[in-house]
Amino acid sequence: MKETTQPPESAEKWEVQLRKGSLELAILAALWQGRLYGLEILRHLETHSDLIVVEGTAYPLLNRLRSLGLVESEWVESDSGHPRKYYRLTSAGRQRALEMSRIWTRFSASMNGLLAPLSPESDTESRKEQP
Amino acid sequence: MTLPADSQKAIDTYLAALRKHLRDLMEEDVQDIVQEINAHILDKISTDTSAVAVAATLAALGTPEELASRYRTEELLKRAQSARSPAYMLCSLFRWAKLSIIGLAVFLVSVVGYCIGGFLFILAALKLIWPRATGLWKTVNGDSSWGLNLGFGSGDPPANASELLGWWLLPIGFILGAALVFLTFRLGTWSIRKFWRPRVWL
Repeated sequence: MKETTQPPESAEKWEVQLRKGSLELAILAALWQGRLYGLEILRHLETHSDLIVVEGTAYPLLNRLRSLGLVESEWVESDSGHPRKYYRLTSAGRQRALEMSRIWTRFSASMNGLLAPLSPESDTESRKEQP
Repeated sequence: MTLPADSQKAIDTYLAALRKHLRDLMEEDVQDIVQEINAHILDKISTDTSAVAVAATLAALGTPEELASRYRTEELLKRAQSARSPAYMLCSLFRWAKLSIIGLAVFLVSVVGYCIGGFLFILAALKLIWPRATGLWKTVNGDSSWGLNLGFGSGDPPANASELLGWWLLPIGFILGAALVFLTFRLGTWSIRKFWRPRVWL
């Protein structure tokens, strides 16, 4: 079977970069409604988006967000028998999340406009119009 | 939660290795990280404590070395921004140098800066110990050409030479050397703040 000329991994690489870029906003958004511990954040991302984050990535990233002052953490005793480290947004983190969310919404709206001709529906219509 | 012996052993081994690879960090931070990873593992295996489930959880975290490396780079560079010691700064920059071209450039410039600054400082100190043989001389050759000769040590001063700086070598060496070390240090903190982009792993 003949392979396509475009290497299939190039689109995947682009998607990985896109996901990397949005991970910080995704974590801040996950914490918007209240405090969560690490595994809860991961499960929240999996449930509410298709962001599947490698577990070994999330914790160093949370550590960085904490050092940037965007989140704060506290150890809380739990019924499971071991304490859990909960994260919550600081006021700087809430501010950052709002700013990033605004930028994201504006950017995605402009991209959607640009990408409209590429959608399958408009593609079918344009084919019909062609003589 | 009481775990099967093999599961507990696998977790203990993983956490011990993680702790070992985090040894550059402050004990307080290491304790915090290890405790959080331990809590994560226990939460993940809360419904299935078998050795297979533990192995899958540990595999998802990456090897202890990989996981530690993600923390260490972040931490080292973060702390380098508030570092006080040139040695610590160089150590952090060396780590950065392995990750990016900018890091490598800053590291090399810093090495040169610290070497020259340190050399000037040592030169001034040697002037105190061996004042006769340490200095900057202008040597006049037979064909009336001349050259500069920087000498230090316990021997004799060069022949047919006049010393240019004399005791001025002390303030010049100490002040210039200290200024160069200071500026090189500030270059490190400034570069990290300006150019360091933390990596995100997926």
